Amino acid sequence: MEIEIDARGLECPKPVVMTKEALENASGAFTVLVDNETARDNVTRFARSSGCEVGVKENESGFLISIAPGPASEADTVQLSSCTPGTGTVLFISKDEIGGGDRELGSTLMKMFLYAYAEREEPPAAVALMNAGVRLVTEDEEAVAHIRRLQEQGAEVLVCGTCLDYYGLTEKLKVGRVSNMYELQTTLVGAGRLVSL
Amino acid sequence: MLDEDLALVQTVDFFTPIVDDPYLFGQIAAANALSDLYAMGARPLTAMNIVAFPCSLGLEVLESILLGGQEKIHEAGAVIIGGHTIEDEEPKYGLAATGLVKPSEMTTITGATTGDYLVLTKPVGTGILATALKGDFITENEMGEAIESMCALNREAARVFSEHGINACTDITGFALVGHLYEMIRAGGIAAEIWAAEVPLFDNALKMANMGLVPEGKKRIEDYVPEAQVKAGEIEAAVMDCLYDPQTSGGLLASVPAGNVDDVVRDLRDGPCPRAAVIGTITGEEPGSLRILAAKRE
Repeated sequence: MEIEIDARGLECPKPVVMTKEALENASGAFTVLVDNETARDNVTRFARSSGCEVGVKENESGFLISIAPGPASEADTVQLSSCTPGTGTVLFISKDEIGGGDRELGSTLMKMFLYAYAEREEPPAAVALMNAGVRLVTEDEEAVAHIRRLQEQGAEVLVCGTCLDYYGLTEKLKVGRVSNMYELQTTLVGAGRLVSL
Repeated sequence: MLDEDLALVQTVDFFTPIVDDPYLFGQIAAANALSDLYAMGARPLTAMNIVAFPCSLGLEVLESILLGGQEKIHEAGAVIIGGHTIEDEEPKYGLAATGLVKPSEMTTITGATTGDYLVLTKPVGTGILATALKGDFITENEMGEAIESMCALNREAARVFSEHGINACTDITGFALVGHLYEMIRAGGIAAEIWAAEVPLFDNALKMANMGLVPEGKKRIEDYVPEAQVKAGEIEAAVMDCLYDPQTSGGLLASVPAGNVDDVVRDLRDGPCPRAAVIGTITGEEPGSLRILAAKRE
């Protein structure tokens, strides 16, 4: 039976602490019920930073947050007790094309890959975009649509702020959130499985 | 006002423990309560203890809290002239304090002028760190920088400000950097912009915000400062959390004439506030507008 944690009416950091404890003991997915936006945002961020896949539903009693531990954390729950960030699959994209051959082919391959990943409906815990990779969440409409689907499925999309700045694309960000090297580094190093493009 | 040259200013502040160590809690609560006097350019004169305490906790805990408070009050050059204690489930401590100021030298939240620079004397992030501490995500050691900062009086920062001359000042507490700045621009009928990258943050504050340890109070501040008035660029969520983070015993935020700002920042950094920074400026935009930029304009 699926475990449900009722964290309604509790002040921060209680809902996060309860989620952390559940994550340490859970063998599979569980849900957390909260009744305010601060708790919803905090629990969601905590679970994502722990490499989980997260979904949120709003109903009359509050926000129901479903949390599925990432693949690595299922295999090794001990790791979680130290609250290791980012133990799921992380997709790292540092270019706007795949490979280094023909430019047009590379660009098409990238979009096909992203499309195929979104079709799987098993999103990564995070997508980290750096250097020319940030074009995929700004200028490239087609790639934006695929990455947005991954985000809707629960992936956290982290975009290198320095890179956006460098390419003058900060104002054009269409999907994901601006991140820093600290968080990107933690996400990449802590990834249970890193898929690098 | 007592006469033309002298005015009395009074303030009161108390709250529940934000660190486990009772002595440090006493120091922080007292420094926090006196902070308001320093923001006004006043010299603390007297203080009265305000205490709520459960009988279930040992008296030695209460003694440590009061000792911490007493040391801060004495450091400020003030004396304790009494106080009041009640029984309560959760401990609370703070002060009602009185100070003296020359009316001509008193600083308030009004008076900031277009072209002024905004100087902040302490980093922000104590609310996030206290939330993380409550949930056992960090130890008191790991928030050592913030604890030391919360214990520090704003006296020396106020002295630097009064030596060089400033136009307006406020202390950063429960309304967070954004809330207190918003009060300043509303009261002064002016507009401001701040540069997120320039705002000093405590160690671990971003990390804890990213882990979802943002205190409840943030939402109230967002409601108080209407979004229509705040124009924010693309800034990462954790940094925004710090700007909206309710502070305990935070620093002073001063509006400093452009001609004085270099001297002010140098004296702060070389002296009492090594992490003091210029975090923004008073602009000529529509009064009440607060713009939050990711970084300083080139």
